[in-house]
Amino acid sequence: MTVDYASALVAAVFFAAAPLMLAALGETVSERGGVINLSMDGTVLFAAMAAFAVARGCGNPWLGLLAGAGAGAAIALILAVFGLFLGASELAVGFVLTLFCRELAYFMGHGVARQPGPDLGSLSVPGLSDIPFLGQALFGQSPVVLLSLAALGLVWWFLARTRPGLVLRAVGESPRAAASRGVAVRRVQLLCCLAGGALAGCAGGLYSLSVKPGWGHPQGCEGAGWIALAIVIFGGWKPVRVAFGALFFAAIQVAGIALQDALPGLSGALFQIAPFPVMILTLLAVNLRRSTAFREAARRVPLLGRLMPRSAGGAPGAIAGALDKGF
Amino acid sequence: MDVVLSHIVKRFGQLIANDDVSLTLEAGRIHGLLGENGAGKSTLMKVLCGQLSPEAGEIVVDGAAHARLTPDAAAALGIGMLPQDPLDFPPLRVWENFALGGGPVLTRREARSRLEAVCSRMGFCLRPDVPVADLTVAERQHLELARLFDRDVRLLILDEPTSGISPAQKRTLFAVLRAFVSDGRRLVALVTHKLTEARELCDAVAILRHGRLAGSFAAPFDTQDVLTAMFGAEVAATATAAPPPPPEPLGLGTPVLRAANLVIADDKAVLRDVSLEVHPGEIVGLAGISGGGQEALLRGLAGIARSVAGELAIGGRDLAGRPATDFLAAGVHYLPAARMEEGLFPGLSLLDHVRLAFPDKRREARAIFAERCVGRFRLTNTPNARADALSGGNQQRLLLSLIPDDTRLLLADNPTRGLDAASIAQIWDHFRERAAAGAAVVFFSEDLDELLAQAGRVLVFFNRDMAADLPAASLDPGLVGDLMTGRSTAAANGGGSAP
Amino acid sequence: MTRRAAPLVRAAWALAAAFAVTLGILLAAGAPPFATLAVMAEGGLGSQAAALRTLAAFTPLLLCGAALCVTFAANLWNIGVEGQITMGAIFAQGCLRAADPAGGLPAGLDLALGLAASALGGLVWALLAGMLRTHGRVHEIFSGLGLNFVAMGVSLWLILGPWKRPGMASMSGTETLDQALWLPALGGRPMSMVGPILAVAAFVGAAWLLRRTFFGLTLAAVRQNALAATRLGLRPGLRILAAMGICGALAGLAGGILVAGLYHRLIPSISGNYGYTAILAVLLASGSLLALPAACLFFAVLTVGSVQLPLSLSLDSSLAGVLQGVLVLTLFAARRLRPLSRRREP
Repeated sequence: MTVDYASALVAAVFFAAAPLMLAALGETVSERGGVINLSMDGTVLFAAMAAFAVARGCGNPWLGLLAGAGAGAAIALILAVFGLFLGASELAVGFVLTLFCRELAYFMGHGVARQPGPDLGSLSVPGLSDIPFLGQALFGQSPVVLLSLAALGLVWWFLARTRPGLVLRAVGESPRAAASRGVAVRRVQLLCCLAGGALAGCAGGLYSLSVKPGWGHPQGCEGAGWIALAIVIFGGWKPVRVAFGALFFAAIQVAGIALQDALPGLSGALFQIAPFPVMILTLLAVNLRRSTAFREAARRVPLLGRLMPRSAGGAPGAIAGALDKGF
Repeated sequence: MDVVLSHIVKRFGQLIANDDVSLTLEAGRIHGLLGENGAGKSTLMKVLCGQLSPEAGEIVVDGAAHARLTPDAAAALGIGMLPQDPLDFPPLRVWENFALGGGPVLTRREARSRLEAVCSRMGFCLRPDVPVADLTVAERQHLELARLFDRDVRLLILDEPTSGISPAQKRTLFAVLRAFVSDGRRLVALVTHKLTEARELCDAVAILRHGRLAGSFAAPFDTQDVLTAMFGAEVAATATAAPPPPPEPLGLGTPVLRAANLVIADDKAVLRDVSLEVHPGEIVGLAGISGGGQEALLRGLAGIARSVAGELAIGGRDLAGRPATDFLAAGVHYLPAARMEEGLFPGLSLLDHVRLAFPDKRREARAIFAERCVGRFRLTNTPNARADALSGGNQQRLLLSLIPDDTRLLLADNPTRGLDAASIAQIWDHFRERAAAGAAVVFFSEDLDELLAQAGRVLVFFNRDMAADLPAASLDPGLVGDLMTGRSTAAANGGGSAP
Repeated sequence: MTRRAAPLVRAAWALAAAFAVTLGILLAAGAPPFATLAVMAEGGLGSQAAALRTLAAFTPLLLCGAALCVTFAANLWNIGVEGQITMGAIFAQGCLRAADPAGGLPAGLDLALGLAASALGGLVWALLAGMLRTHGRVHEIFSGLGLNFVAMGVSLWLILGPWKRPGMASMSGTETLDQALWLPALGGRPMSMVGPILAVAAFVGAAWLLRRTFFGLTLAAVRQNALAATRLGLRPGLRILAAMGICGALAGLAGGILVAGLYHRLIPSISGNYGYTAILAVLLASGSLLALPAACLFFAVLTVGSVQLPLSLSLDSSLAGVLQGVLVLTLFAARRLRPLSRRREP
């Protein structure tokens, strides 16, 4: 394997990871504030459709991306109204929205299906793209990669370093305690849900405008939203770990495509579904790693603890019961 | 600062928690608010600090009347509350908790320097970068107090602040409170159900009973008068009488429970190397601060938390590592502290609970309900009522009635927490009956006075380890408190193994 | 308004709101709203052939709906029904293509074995998700969803690989089964009635299990409070596995009926979204067993009716899913909007 080939693979991984990273970061923001937005898959698809349709209509892909973000925020608004203000189950509404938005995307997008349209093109940052090995991957190929890295930096800085980020984390850990200190809990949760939805909407836009350009039934990014949801758990609700999770799953996709070329005997169907068993296995590993029985075993056999990935912390308090449960 | 609560009414559905309560709190004094559990003390204080809105009445602060307060408005008036269970954000760091809520928006550096300032003023020791989850209950109290002092609180409300901290920590807290009111402008309202604490600290007490003001006294006050106001004349007489001595073991034959070098892995913590024997007829009390390991021991002995190493035999049967059903079959039953959250099915009827608890006799559920639940345990609800309609006392009566009579080892986590005096008396009578009939009872109570009064033998836990195993008669609350906070060891006090 | 009438009034509100939202969506998509709805109604109910197609869609929906009632009773989000249908279809196809209609066993027994195999396939796939939950702490939403994709991949691989048609692999599915291995169509009807009968029987059985047996009560106990169930020795883990197993077996049976009674071969995406649609139907019935068949029937009409849309109006057939989603969301809103006056204190 030449250095050039390896460098190209790394570039492909960062490119494929960009929308996954945005969607997973969006869900991270939402869940750190205590709102589980289960509608990720539908959000990404619908936003992809909306972004492509608007970009085609206006001839400007960046307006399309904005429309995608708006669509994502609108879906998050529906979820927030039901979950926060009508007291419905977030999981149930999120799941119905997943199906609804997916079908709505296919229905509304029928007119622009299999049509040519603009895309975000490529972009090279002078100077930085000449850095050996990683330069081309990060700064030399597409604005998509820069966008995802910028989102990562922004989300990390917001959650870890700003006052509103601190309030958001506090609300996600204990809404009751936050309310007793005078925080307007539902307003904070509404805002974090909207911001998360907008980020996921951007992810949809990145798919239809760059990573898997165009629209169709199917589009090709089906299932990405679910993987983003799993990445959040895998990353322990921490932005940087979540970003690594997105890179990991993108690497699996890229490896699938690369192996498909290398081993033509195996069916492509197997490589397309590869991320999903890996998703289940990573969740299994992460959850077993967090169990007390494993901690006790690792105390006796230190090697075990070193072999498994380091525990990334638990779920925010407000949602710990909802998705982190086990018997 | 002077605060007047005037004709406050607060309802929860059918229940009237505060029924026309009027109260005057004067500056420079420590006011006690006494009453049984469920008397409406906490509700009244939540109204005062803006967490609840009253249906009627008003809150007058320094002459200005308010029909209701919000948490923000109360904080702006200088009213702050230290809730019974720490209401903070465990995964966040100390300085982040300190910076959150009320007051000016602080930068990281400002928050840290202000935390340092208030800590050195009050004599607290808090490291700013530690997650709050790693603090003890007392340290979390200090953090919350530091935050309130920094926000220049003038009326400080404390809701049962001494549950979960040791007697030494209690003395420190009381000294801080006395210093707090010493300038004559600030005041403290202390909610408690313990008369001794009120006597020790308060300049005046008000007593609530069934949601109404039942009396108010200025220090020094007569114990009997206060007790009568709290419980009514008849119960007050029995409440002051000492409980009968705990039963002796029925003989040193086969122990009900034998554990050797047992290691228990609970959800949160691992309890290491416990060895103990419990004999029929014994009532054993567990002491420790929350998370000290005693809760893990109870769940491990019930088979709910896994025992990962060591030996555990119940009635001679080896059960280490076995599933919970084997423990049930061996006659082990566990009474959880969170009765609704861990013990009952909120949406199912009481009759369904009986069916689930006695599956072999589910066709006779109605007869069992009438005979056991109503007849023996004096449960006052109908069989078709839903469990979420039960009061705390009735929840515990239902749970007790669902435990079969042939139980050999009864494990109870804070069996009387939050209950009224009549229910508490019933529970201890019942435990003593079971012990006399040959069962062993192992319980954990956060109330050291209760623990020493009811147990024949006390196991003290510190830092997920058993620190002492001593007869109750040889102990006093101060010593147990020192043991469970690691200030003293069993060896230093000449203690050894129990019989 | 009496207590009994309240759900009906809510349903009426939900229907009206859903209708309004649907009109908005159709207008936004540039479709003639009333002509579109007329095409759907005509396509779902307009002729005997249409009604039979609706019945064919109703069968897997009711089976999966009944199956989902069992898992919802234990508080499980069994999103993996879709994959359990697919696995059932794969097992049925595998069993039936191995059967030799000419000799050996009578055709009826072959068919019974095929359907039993389909139930087994669904059961295995559901137990996998169940054990990931009980032993691996992986939430069933993720395991179920992942296994859906895996089942789809396996069926594609079989169709294009080991089970491909002689000569060439085709996305139109495997070779058609021998006619002796089709579910029998009685009285000259173009469609077998065995499937619908099995579906109704499964529904009645599930209703009896949940409402009349001790097992149903223990599932309710697990849903209400798993910790308390552990304390009473009810072994919630085992009961979760049992609920998943029952659900998977019924969903797998639905897949088997699709193979033996409708397509007579294995096709890609044979589960046809029935699993997801059934979840919506159960949510629409909102826990009422009586309302479930009506919800399934309505959704079957929508699903079948929308198939005509691309041909007659050049619209995407996903409108059925849009309508189903709108209906469930408006019902959620109607159910939640009423008690706005009595908001609880924190």
